[in-house]
Amino acid sequence: MTRVEGSLPQGQELLSSVGTAWMRAPYPALVVDTAGALVEINAQAARLFPAAGPGIPLADVAPDWLVEGHRRAAVTGGEDAGGPVRGRHGQWTLEAHATPGADGQVVWWLVDDTHRELAETALRNEKERHGFLAEASSRLLASLNTERCMEVAVELATRYLADAAVLVAPAAGRRHPLSLCAGDGVVHRTARIEPADVPGLKEALQGFPPVPSRWIDPSALPEWAVPEGFDGPVGSVVVTPLPGHGVPAGALILLRRSDHAAFDASEESFARVFAARAGAALSAARLYMEQTSITATLMADLLPPMLRRVHGVEFAGSYRTAQDTERVGGDFYDVHPGAAPGDKTLAVLGDVCGKGLEAAVLTGKIRSTLQALLPLAGDHQHLLRLLNGTLLNSRHTRFSTLVLASVLRQENTTHLSLTSAGHPLPLIVRQDGTVEEAPTSGTLIGVLPDVKSTTAEVDLRPGESCLLFTDGVTEARGGPLGDVMFGDDRLRAALADCAGMPAEAVVERIHMLVAEWIGDNRHDDIAVMAITAPRTTHLTAVDGHTAGRYTA
Amino acid sequence: MSTTSDDSVFHLDTALDATGDAHIRITGDLDWDSADEFTEAARALLRADPAPRRLRLDCARLTLCDSLGLASLLMVQRASAEAGTPLHLDNRPEALRRLLDMTGTAELFDGSAGRAADAPDASGEAGAAPPPGRT
Repeated sequence: MTRVEGSLPQGQELLSSVGTAWMRAPYPALVVDTAGALVEINAQAARLFPAAGPGIPLADVAPDWLVEGHRRAAVTGGEDAGGPVRGRHGQWTLEAHATPGADGQVVWWLVDDTHRELAETALRNEKERHGFLAEASSRLLASLNTERCMEVAVELATRYLADAAVLVAPAAGRRHPLSLCAGDGVVHRTARIEPADVPGLKEALQGFPPVPSRWIDPSALPEWAVPEGFDGPVGSVVVTPLPGHGVPAGALILLRRSDHAAFDASEESFARVFAARAGAALSAARLYMEQTSITATLMADLLPPMLRRVHGVEFAGSYRTAQDTERVGGDFYDVHPGAAPGDKTLAVLGDVCGKGLEAAVLTGKIRSTLQALLPLAGDHQHLLRLLNGTLLNSRHTRFSTLVLASVLRQENTTHLSLTSAGHPLPLIVRQDGTVEEAPTSGTLIGVLPDVKSTTAEVDLRPGESCLLFTDGVTEARGGPLGDVMFGDDRLRAALADCAGMPAEAVVERIHMLVAEWIGDNRHDDIAVMAITAPRTTHLTAVDGHTAGRYTA
Repeated sequence: MSTTSDDSVFHLDTALDATGDAHIRITGDLDWDSADEFTEAARALLRADPAPRRLRLDCARLTLCDSLGLASLLMVQRASAEAGTPLHLDNRPEALRRLLDMTGTAELFDGSAGRAADAPDASGEAGAAPPPGRT
């Protein structure tokens, strides 16, 4: 095809037949002389350049890029023209190849490149969209905060898809949370809106497929749906649902100004792909926030109280929750002071079997039941029987173990009634560092139709302490090898050093030793409570119980 | 039957012998991760027709039993009491023995639990509910 007149040595006959064929070639071709005037054009070229004809300057009919290309090619008569030149002509994109003609003339062959151009543009768009989606996903999933997630969604939509975006979240009560963005900055608002005012919005919020944008009349948009800072009239609107996990996560309204090209079908379907990602991220964030807030609400009520001195007896507690939140056990403790100095104070420390919310709920139930049963606190057996009856459940065998301690100080002696309901036995450290186990026993609570228990009566002299603890202490794994239990012996040895210490210090010391033992290992909940008969101090001297300091 | 020999991996071996006793050998840790599997396996055995004469749990290879493990043992105890099948806990490791003593539950697992008197009391919500796993 690149061989034309003059380049064939065979003679005139063949040349003229080629000449005829050339005229009917399926590609446009022009012969231009060194001065830049057209010599001949074929039929296809005549369609492309209707004003062209022999003798007319190329510059009068052809686009500048071709005229410039010819100026350069004419220098060598079309030899070594340095590759094709490209450019637009009307609706077409053309590629022009130069070949040498007779007498320094140049023959230009034009190839329609429009489709390749379109394909390349489409490919570029697709790559850009792919990149955008990848960015969108990582940014949307970066936060589990719903408001932040909505903010990112409208921001991204405004940057890539539209001039402004409004995200309408499902109603909380009667009001819908909205996030609006018209370029810079996102506005959050909660408003009582009527979704039916925006065509397709009500359906989108229910998760129905989107309404094509050509069905939406931009002028019918209510005021709230156009963000502040959106300049110029709305040209086109797309409303697309944000599909969530099972329930719709909201709807996205995309707005374009009237001077901007309207949404085409491919952009609308791309908007849906984006909306799917935004919806998934948003509903994950919403589920997470709901769960967090439920847990926080429940936990707030379940946190162990601050302990203090009650009626001349020191109480101190420490609670360390498991790091692995999935396995939050449900240790708890409470101190219910006696109404008057002569009344017994009831302390309770326990452990609920299970994890997370389930355990938290059972813990709450036990703590409030015990509070209600306080008037019966004098009889531990009766109290435990009533508590057991409340917790019995045919569906599961989740149980609780606990220790009850009724405490009363009389003169220099602190009387303790200790009852274990299936719980590790309380330890008592004497003034001389001897450690004893309180001789109590009993069945766990919440599973068996009947519970039995025996109560130990223990007296503490000043400086002596009783330690209540959960198995998180003795079963804490760690140590030099990382997998050895802290165990009873280490706990007893640690407690032996606590003789004469105030309750706060006892709890602090045990807690510290266990924490050191655990190191970075995983551990269960750990709860410790010390009940200490204080060494006689000025305070008690003022009370008139003793004559001087440290009478112990 | 499992062929795993690694003791740290939880698995159950179940069998029904010629005398009509059902056996479950527990290997590994009985805890949050394994409690449900154990309860289901025991319930499946108790549901067999004819019902097993006794249910024997071999704990020789039980490496740990935490509070959820104990809850699952209590669940199996409840199910066997309802089925009228005595439950035996054989070869109790020291740690399990101490756990059962401390929680006052040791006697539930000595084979005397098939008596109706040991079934959970029908108090409150427990009354109306059918036995677990039955319809």
